[in-house]
Amino acid sequence: MPFISKIQRQTDYRRFPSSTPIVIDNGASYFRIGWAGEPEPRVIFRNIVQRPRHKVTGETVTIVGDHDVALLKYFDCTRSGPRSAFDNNVVYQFEIMEYILDFAFDRLGADGSKIDHPILITECVCNPSQSRSKMAELLFDTYGVPSIAYGVDAVFSYKYNQHHGVCNKDGLAICPGFMTTHVIPFIDGEPEYKGCCRTNIGGYHITDYLKQLISLKYPLHMARFTWEKVEDLKMEHCYIAPDYMSEARMFQNGTKEAEDKTRSWQLPWVPPPTEEPPSEEMIAEKAARKEKAGQRLRDMAEAKRSIRINELENESHGLGFLLKQLEQVEDHDIQSFLSATGYISRKEVESALVKVKQSLLKAKGEQAEFEEKPDTERFNLLDKPDHECTPEELKLKKKQLFLKTTAEGRQRAKRKRHEEEQERERRNQQDEQRRLKNPELYKEQLRAKYNDLSEKVEQRKRLKTSKGHTNGNNNSGNVGRGERLNPEQRERMRLLTTAAFDRGKGEDTFGARDEDWQLYKLMSKDNDDDDEGPDVDQAELARLTSRLREVDPTFVPRSDNGNSQSAEAPWSRPLTEEDYRIDFGVERFRCPEILFRPNWIGIDQAGLDEMAGVSLRRLPSKDTELEERLTSSIFLTGGSSLFPGMSERLEAGVRMITPCGSPIRVVKALNPTLDAWRGASAYAASPEFPSQTFSKQDYYEKGEDIVRGYQFQYHVL
Amino acid sequence: MEKEVIQAELVLPNKLSFKRVQMNEKYPKGQPRGRWKHLKQIIQAENYQNYPPDEPNYVNIESPPSMHPCKRICDITGYEAPYYDPRTNLRYANAEIFKQIRSLPNEHVQRYLALRNAAVVLK
Repeated sequence: MPFISKIQRQTDYRRFPSSTPIVIDNGASYFRIGWAGEPEPRVIFRNIVQRPRHKVTGETVTIVGDHDVALLKYFDCTRSGPRSAFDNNVVYQFEIMEYILDFAFDRLGADGSKIDHPILITECVCNPSQSRSKMAELLFDTYGVPSIAYGVDAVFSYKYNQHHGVCNKDGLAICPGFMTTHVIPFIDGEPEYKGCCRTNIGGYHITDYLKQLISLKYPLHMARFTWEKVEDLKMEHCYIAPDYMSEARMFQNGTKEAEDKTRSWQLPWVPPPTEEPPSEEMIAEKAARKEKAGQRLRDMAEAKRSIRINELENESHGLGFLLKQLEQVEDHDIQSFLSATGYISRKEVESALVKVKQSLLKAKGEQAEFEEKPDTERFNLLDKPDHECTPEELKLKKKQLFLKTTAEGRQRAKRKRHEEEQERERRNQQDEQRRLKNPELYKEQLRAKYNDLSEKVEQRKRLKTSKGHTNGNNNSGNVGRGERLNPEQRERMRLLTTAAFDRGKGEDTFGARDEDWQLYKLMSKDNDDDDEGPDVDQAELARLTSRLREVDPTFVPRSDNGNSQSAEAPWSRPLTEEDYRIDFGVERFRCPEILFRPNWIGIDQAGLDEMAGVSLRRLPSKDTELEERLTSSIFLTGGSSLFPGMSERLEAGVRMITPCGSPIRVVKALNPTLDAWRGASAYAASPEFPSQTFSKQDYYEKGEDIVRGYQFQYHVL
Repeated sequence: MEKEVIQAELVLPNKLSFKRVQMNEKYPKGQPRGRWKHLKQIIQAENYQNYPPDEPNYVNIESPPSMHPCKRICDITGYEAPYYDPRTNLRYANAEIFKQIRSLPNEHVQRYLALRNAAVVLK
């Protein structure tokens, strides 16, 4: 059942006289405060503090406890996670402690200049004296408290239940808490701390484990698994199996019982609106639209082309006219005549005209006749020997030589291409003939070829990746020191050994020459993949695939599977409702199991059942009768003891440790979470309480010693 | 402050009457907050070795490592797992789970190992 916080401000603070103690149960999970002698604490809240910034005003405020998430939207909580004053189960952050105490006293209704009541506050077993003294300082100085008493929460719970007859005077208290678990033996009503035992596992670790497990199992919904939600899930669904292995086997076999025990949590999911396959009309409509668009584009291109043709024609006409005029004009007038038009000489005009004519022809789409000067004229200088030419002619000759060679090269390339084309045509024709002759056989051959080739390519890929692995990790597989399968690997090994070979002192001249460093290039792993081979094969493979697809309607290309599938592969199929359902099967009893086996999360300490044995062994007096009395009253308390099935499991565990036939009885506290406070309240209300406290004067007179030696006497009740 | 926030009394008020020294005086704004000693440092400062060893103190009462043989379970499903994958060091129960392990992204593998406190942490 989820815990409820009570943070209503109390109004009857003034009713209580100064002698009434205030009782505080300062737990790592919850903080409870109330008046002595009452059955219930007045204020309960989670022992955490947040310091977010207000979005509008920008000031940093303090929020204590857990609050309604809706109100927190006014605050910027990104940089302020919830913080606790505890480290394991010891208070170390007293600033946070102060915030918490402020809040607690405020909600208790405190007003006045100081807290004028003695305080009984709980702590962990064998609290370090530094923590105690800082707490005392805080209470005395800041709050003006007259006197303080410290007590252990598990012991209070035991004594309260002993008073109510649940457990005996001698017994073993087992208290799984939030961060730690304690086992404390009681002899004659007093806790024997020498036999006490503590393991650093608690409800926090269980919640964390559950959170990690389901986040990893359903990474899609990771954001939904907040701490509070997971804690709720844990409290509602987790249980302790009487025997872990048999439960796990039952789930593994998938029996009906396992199905019943699996709980599912369905997240809200709306199926995406399915697109209906486009109907006939829509398809026709789309085709018509495409046609129209195409037509429009074509018209535009046509219009542009005709405009350009017109322009060119105009230009050519103009130029022709100009030429004609030039013929009529005399020579010396040419300059002045031409300056008006922008051309300098007649030749230019002629060449411009030629160009325009050519572009006109091209625009009209006719083959442009490439008027080449006859070869003889172009290469006229090549035949002339060198010593007969002038320097200018030499230059010209060089140019012509260059032009000739390039022209020849171009022609050769053209011829080769032509030949290849013909060859391919011939091959295709042969193929076609073969196919027409015997379609089945043809398909078979193609498929066989495809399979072989794909095998080869995959094999090479696998070799490459495993090559990387085996080179990095020499212990795996069967590639040992002497067997390097690839010739490149062998070569590299050889280079490495020769380079590293120590030829004696003073003989190493590696690096004196620059060429030595080239060795590293040779050794480098990146260079030794031959990329030629796979490419050719892959091209062939692609060609075969396309051919097969054309020819054979039943052909399905073999895609790589297995190694190359990553976690993204599942996302390629559309998400179904199933993806949004979280199943809790094994996790239900796997998570609380860590209380008994802390090894599963890497904490190398004893589990609950073993701790009982350790505690018995640690007792100063070895007395079998005493042990029997202890085991006949094993008392369970603490927040994490609320898992169903804990008592049976504990009983079975303790039976394994104790000698056969000894009586074992496991009892649960009346209210594991509140009993600690109730016990403390009962003690604080007793008349001997003031003698248990130490006051401010004592503290400042004696200092640390009083804190170190302080022990609460529990037998008074 | 919004009305509903004030009504809910979410925020701790700055000044409380019963305190001798208010928070903002003790920890002035803008100044670095005191460094609090963590548990490890507190224990170190306690000097428990100076005191007689059979007196119970915070360090004494810790429980020893477990004597029971550790039961191995599959990292992913929680069933009994007799095998482990040498490449990733994860434990698995049968061949299907093995296939799942091999297709996990590296981040998930490290998180599963970290659950068991078996991840290699490079610092």
